[in-house]
Amino acid sequence: MSAAAVETPAPDDVLAVTEDVWVALLGDDDPLLPRVAPDGAAFDATGPWSAATTVSGGWQGVVTVELDDTAARSLTARMLDLPPGLDAVDGDIADAVGELVNMVGGNIKSLMPGPSVLSLPSVAAGRAAFASDVREASRLDLAWRGSPVRVSVHVPVS
Amino acid sequence: MRAMIIDDSRAMRSILRRIVTDLDFETAEAEHGQAALDQMRAGVVPDVCLVDWNMPVMDGYTFITEVRANPEWRDITLMMVTTESEQRQIVRALAAGAHEYVIKPFTPDAIVDKLALLGLLPEGHGVNA
Repeated sequence: MSAAAVETPAPDDVLAVTEDVWVALLGDDDPLLPRVAPDGAAFDATGPWSAATTVSGGWQGVVTVELDDTAARSLTARMLDLPPGLDAVDGDIADAVGELVNMVGGNIKSLMPGPSVLSLPSVAAGRAAFASDVREASRLDLAWRGSPVRVSVHVPVS
Repeated sequence: MRAMIIDDSRAMRSILRRIVTDLDFETAEAEHGQAALDQMRAGVVPDVCLVDWNMPVMDGYTFITEVRANPEWRDITLMMVTTESEQRQIVRALAAGAHEYVIKPFTPDAIVDKLALLGLLPEGHGVNA
């Protein structure tokens, strides 16, 4: 990834986008809450899921969303409207988490200089792969139903 | 009325399916544009397509151009439902033949209102309900 532009979205804008996506997908019964995590701390979750999408063009960056297994399963169950007692399978979780990062990433892209193209999401149980020549430019540590959620924006290393 | 929901995300198809089935639409689903075209050529012709933009195999923009190139499908209403929110992309999709454009995330009411504006809902649904 080249360093065409290293402008970064404002943290408040990233939070607003994330909250909008969350409410649209999951309703406002269980809002995202702020969570304190030390600078540079790894995502401290059990069985984490992560997804990444890359923006290329007028603005370049990578948007990632990380959730713990409990949050990922609950999110998937809500999105698929699964009946109580029916657990989401891994393929469905990957799909739901991928759509989540697609929406967050697409709306962050809309805040930045364009034109740009959004990649299809990559999703992993663990850490999703994305370009290594980027640095974390902003990070939101949140909690949903007591489970950790992290949204990060990475920009090219200049 | 039949709606074809075209999105590579099963979760998003599920969300859209619930919205339109509540409006008494029959539904068909496809995970990309080519799969939707295959169904339509096999006789599953919808009244309206809800089309994502970014999909593998065939994206939503290409799907729209393919549908608009076939005169037999000129009565099909095409609605983009996508995270692509750049003005340039919206103009491109509308110029290619999309009738409406909904940006994700959306509320169910946003979809209902767009369908109503397109004249696809019976009285009692949508913006004037």
